[in-house]
Amino acid sequence: MSKSLYVQAINRALHEEMDRDPDVLCIGEDIGPMGGLFGATRGLHERFGAERVIDTPISEAGYTGAAIGMAMEGLRPVVEIQFADFVTVAFDQLNTVAAKMHFLLSGLAKVPLVVRLPYGVNLAGEGYMSGHGPHHSQSPEAWFCHMAGMKVVMPSGPADALGLLKAAIRDNSPVMFFEQKGLYETASEALPEGEHVVPIGKAAVVCEGSDVTVIATGATVGLARAVAERLRAEGVSLEVVDPRTLVPLDTEALVASAIKTGRVVITHEAPSTGGFGGEIAARIAEQAFGRLHAPIRRVCGLDMPVPDGKNNALPNEERIEAAVRNVLESG
Amino acid sequence: MTSDLARFYQQMYVIRRLEETLLEMFSAGEINGTTHTCIGQEATAAGVISHLDSERDVIFSNHRCHGHYVAFTDDVEGLIAEVTGRTTGTCGGKGGSQHLCRGNFYSNGIQGSIVPVATGIALAERERKSGAVTTVFIGDGTLGQGALYECLNMASLWRLPLMVVVENNHYAQSTPEELAVSGSISARAAAFGIPTAEITTTDVEEIHATAGSAVERIRATGEPFFMVLDTYRFSPHSKGDDTRDPAEIEARRASSDPIALIADRLDPELRADIEQAAERRVADAREAALAAPVAGAVQA
Repeated sequence: MSKSLYVQAINRALHEEMDRDPDVLCIGEDIGPMGGLFGATRGLHERFGAERVIDTPISEAGYTGAAIGMAMEGLRPVVEIQFADFVTVAFDQLNTVAAKMHFLLSGLAKVPLVVRLPYGVNLAGEGYMSGHGPHHSQSPEAWFCHMAGMKVVMPSGPADALGLLKAAIRDNSPVMFFEQKGLYETASEALPEGEHVVPIGKAAVVCEGSDVTVIATGATVGLARAVAERLRAEGVSLEVVDPRTLVPLDTEALVASAIKTGRVVITHEAPSTGGFGGEIAARIAEQAFGRLHAPIRRVCGLDMPVPDGKNNALPNEERIEAAVRNVLESG
Repeated sequence: MTSDLARFYQQMYVIRRLEETLLEMFSAGEINGTTHTCIGQEATAAGVISHLDSERDVIFSNHRCHGHYVAFTDDVEGLIAEVTGRTTGTCGGKGGSQHLCRGNFYSNGIQGSIVPVATGIALAERERKSGAVTTVFIGDGTLGQGALYECLNMASLWRLPLMVVVENNHYAQSTPEELAVSGSISARAAAFGIPTAEITTTDVEEIHATAGSAVERIRATGEPFFMVLDTYRFSPHSKGDDTRDPAEIEARRASSDPIALIADRLDPELRADIEQAAERRVADAREAALAAPVAGAVQA
């Protein structure tokens, strides 16, 4: 079976859902004939026309708000924010209306909105999407986890990207869908044929192990897997768990793995302070403190804007491996 | 036969008594939180909304939404229950004064967020070919928000059946228009190629006529329209936060109270009947709200 890139999986999900449901439409900058800056909407304009693939002015607040209005009217808009960093301009719309309308209307009105957010950089530090500086490289998922009323999804590979985006489009709540843009052209795998929908709110055990749990999101899942491969030769067994959805979080799966291994490392690309890893650590501490053999360690972005070019500001295999050795040695 | 004039008087009188009652209830400790009354501005609600169909058209209003809500839905009871945090309120008591949402009526208190959402609603209605006009009520204060101009641009480019109504009451909370609004208000919309109308009266019959032409034009062309209405609020922005010169308020109350302006045009007996019915209805709604269960505990 031929392999598909991460960006191709996103593109397939959009094609399939727009085919399936005439209420699904896409809106954003340069998503029409150009097919989106990263190619995620390629072919949609030709197939579904300008009425369902809406090119907008550079007006994130305006068109994100308009998409929310369309969602309140029963359409299923998928917004592309060209770089996740630009979502700050649309914050008022997302926080004030999208996250609250469902609650205010006692569940009578739905806001079936998806916002696609290309975030992060290529963690290899070179090649495709390896550095765009502080304004085009952020991982802002935690902002939305704190905005009660949103679902937050972060697929780490093509098959999950396909299945989770389809689930997000079918969901009646607003979903912030974080696409790791370093993976667009670098991650590939064979996709399931036919309908592939991955439920929102379910973690995945990426590889089973017994000594240390590594909880990773987005592109750090690949780093954790590589570390797991390397340490297997030394007889160290890592269990890599990908939450896939941050809100609602599959706490049960994360706690179960923490209890199984007794040692936990959490890694993500966003800065550690206020990052979602803190929430995961807190939940594990609340529910499994007495079962841990060592303090929880985090391997995150440094607390600073993301520098351009190859640098040490973001997680890498070496830092994850060092944290794993640290939790093995302590306690 | 109920004439337009009698209907306007009835709506404006109910809105006035409802809001005066809300202020009394605040003083009596029967309401928590906040409220923003439109006392003095009732004519824009009655005059504009009489052209809209609550089954088909959509309204997005702002923090000063009571008048618009009652003119569109006639739901005095749901409003008082919402503001008092009762389960029988418009939003089950979870939203309060600035969040009256029912059927095709929405409101929220963040000025920059209502116009984009209304733009999207207009786009969805156009896609559905429903013939609906989507109306968004903003104030002179909203003119400071950049998102408004993004939406005027998109509404014009995409030819959306959107009516933007600026209720210019000359103050954004305490900040007077001359410190916050440069140039011409209607020229801002005209720059985007959107047709405009601007009138400087609080006479509901004149507002009704101007709004009628605007709505007719939107229904005929499917394109946006921008209307600027001059008005004045006699009460504070919310409660007890008024820094305006009391003499200015009194002068406007004497010259442009929309209820007083048309009172003499009605048969005195009919007028008395309308007033009595409104008093009774508001008093009953207050009593019913206070007897209803408090919304209270919630679950995430």
